[in-house]
Amino acid sequence: MADHVLRLKLALLLSALRPGRDLARALPVIALAAAVVWAVLALASVVQPALPEHRAALVIVATALSVGIAVAPLSAGLGSALEPRRFASFPIAPRRLALSLAVAGAIGIPGLLAAVLGIGLELAWAGTPTAGAAIAAGVLAALAIILTSQFLVAVGAQLAVSSAARRVITTGARVVVALALCAAGITVLAVGDPAAAGTLLPIAAVLGSTPVGMLWAVPGSELAPLLARLLGGLVMLAVMALGWAWVVGRLLEAPQRTQREASTTGLGWFDLAPATPAGVIAARSLLYWLRDPRYRLVLLVLPLAPVLMMLTLATAGAPLPPLWLLPLPVLALFLGWFPHNDAAYDSTALWVHVAAPVPAVADRWGRSVPPLLIGLLLLPPAPLFVLWSGVDGALPALLGITVGLLLTGVGVSSVASAVGAYPAARPGAGPFEQPPTLGARAGWSQALSLVAILALMTPALLTGVWGFTDPAWFVVSGIAGAATGLGMLLLGLVIGGRAFRARAPELLDLALRG
Amino acid sequence: MRPAKPAPPAPVVLEIDGLRKAFGRATAVDGVSLTVRRGSIFGFVGPNGAGKTTTLSMAAGLLRPDAGSVRVTGVDVWGEPRTAKSLIGVLPDRMRLFDRLTGAQMLYYTAVLHGLDRASALARADDLAVALGLDGSLERPVRDYSVGMIKKISLAAALIHSPAVLVLDEPFESVDPVSTAQAIDLLKRYASAGGTVVLSSHNMDLVERVCDAVAVIVGGRILAAGTLDEVRDGRSLEQRFVELAGGRVAVEGLEWLTTFSV
Repeated sequence: MADHVLRLKLALLLSALRPGRDLARALPVIALAAAVVWAVLALASVVQPALPEHRAALVIVATALSVGIAVAPLSAGLGSALEPRRFASFPIAPRRLALSLAVAGAIGIPGLLAAVLGIGLELAWAGTPTAGAAIAAGVLAALAIILTSQFLVAVGAQLAVSSAARRVITTGARVVVALALCAAGITVLAVGDPAAAGTLLPIAAVLGSTPVGMLWAVPGSELAPLLARLLGGLVMLAVMALGWAWVVGRLLEAPQRTQREASTTGLGWFDLAPATPAGVIAARSLLYWLRDPRYRLVLLVLPLAPVLMMLTLATAGAPLPPLWLLPLPVLALFLGWFPHNDAAYDSTALWVHVAAPVPAVADRWGRSVPPLLIGLLLLPPAPLFVLWSGVDGALPALLGITVGLLLTGVGVSSVASAVGAYPAARPGAGPFEQPPTLGARAGWSQALSLVAILALMTPALLTGVWGFTDPAWFVVSGIAGAATGLGMLLLGLVIGGRAFRARAPELLDLALRG
Repeated sequence: MRPAKPAPPAPVVLEIDGLRKAFGRATAVDGVSLTVRRGSIFGFVGPNGAGKTTTLSMAAGLLRPDAGSVRVTGVDVWGEPRTAKSLIGVLPDRMRLFDRLTGAQMLYYTAVLHGLDRASALARADDLAVALGLDGSLERPVRDYSVGMIKKISLAAALIHSPAVLVLDEPFESVDPVSTAQAIDLLKRYASAGGTVVLSSHNMDLVERVCDAVAVIVGGRILAAGTLDEVRDGRSLEQRFVELAGGRVAVEGLEWLTTFSV
């Protein structure tokens, strides 16, 4: 049995070396592995275990590398991973399979690297009184890395039920590997600096008392801790081996974990929203803001607006610190302005609203919930931005203007999307696709709604500017902003609701022609 | 013994009077008037582009007519839209759904928009899913549905608030025979309980089997309307329809189509 799994593993390894794309993808990995092997062996031959900072560095580098090696199999994606579940349909005894998989895990690049790391430890301590302990520790540590990586692959394969989850796992693993290599590299560079010894020693001491670094610290310890660590490593390995057999047995019997995107009873956001027209429209709208590429693109691009604005102004010679007051209001402005064509985004699905006796304000109010909820995220960082700006007392103004721009924007949008709708990209269209007939109406609608928001907010914005000369105005500006926002939101919902009720068939007609 | 009085005709539920709609210069619907009685299944047939969809959209309150009126149980659809819309269930043709929602979410959404509470929305969605053979597909997003499945979920959505009148535009297009039979049983049960159905279809056999009253629309005008027997006038509905729609045009000038190059 074992030789079948091993043969499969070898076939998988060789398949990565087929000329063509596979080889092109495998070569950098092989090069990196070769570099790590060379570095470990070279370092092992120059390290001087007699020096405490060298001992500390050795523990840190080995620990970092062992974490990286254990995680490495996940970073290759789980496409051809030898994980226990894949063998569930074959009549193999779980214990046999556990052993076969563990042995197969030792073959391949991670297994080789684990072995090299263990050998590196032994080389480093060769010729010292603790050389014997180093050999034992090296063997145990290499085995522990291989088993850990088997655990990670098995768990990862259970979690990777969707392609998105698989990407997250692969990316996460690559980040961990990169961080581990960086940590090792930095440590090696730092050893030469006598000042660094002060930081290396405590780090090594902490690592040496954790399961991850315990075995690497064995040869450098006094007799009692040496024995304790060695024993600890042995126990750890035994527990892992038994645990591995248990996990394999369980995975072979437990039912497959499937993607539970929508459970049998759940309605997602609809379970959280109240069962009223406004509630379900809010839930549906939120779902579209979060899932539809047309909305998502805006959410992704939106944060760039203030960055570009600050860069432009800063290069034009504006003093930087006060510019930190800009990002939040700018984000609020665009977040409130964006849904000004929201009804057209429904395309012909708008008929669902037209055919039902939906109260006029409910439609408007439901559609307003996502920008308002997302806008809530703008408030907590406000004090931080005021701090960076160095403008004393600007917090009330910043909060009031941000809230005001968002609420006014949502209010104006709820009128504009009923009155000034223009053809929009179809649902499911790519984020950069535009409808064939955009027309002048689109430009007017976009410009007018933006100007309307700014015009309505003029009092708050103006007093906000005065605040730079007399901070008392900041409070006035804050109150004015919040009050304008609340008023305009309510007014916008009512006017927008009436307009929507009157014009719903025309909006549907527009969608049908668009 | 006096002869039993014939049952009085059922009251008129849907009354369409002089509907007119033009798109630019093209007149799509030109003075359509119809009456549909309670408990009947009314078939609306006509060739492509005859104005069926436009008429049904105006009747259901989706498309504003240029002239004319629509009354559902006496309520003016374009005068009191909110009252009227709770009386009508619509299945439009060629319109999208919110297709990122799952089937279950879609049904729940329509139900709550029509004023149902959570419990009855969920219970009715389950009932309809079973009756229309949708159970098992409700957890999938509607965008993954086939055309026939979309018709079925739309029919369920149209029925969920138990409307007095159902306006169905091509409800059986691309629907498999088993599901069609299931849906027809459902509609017959609904009609015998006092519901009223107006449906359009290109399938004359199906209209003959299901409907008890028919109207033929050609070029935006009603050319014949009445009970099935009145409209058929002793022939099959298909023959009568082809005749009304202008008869078969003698095929000329397509000689190349019958001379095969071997």
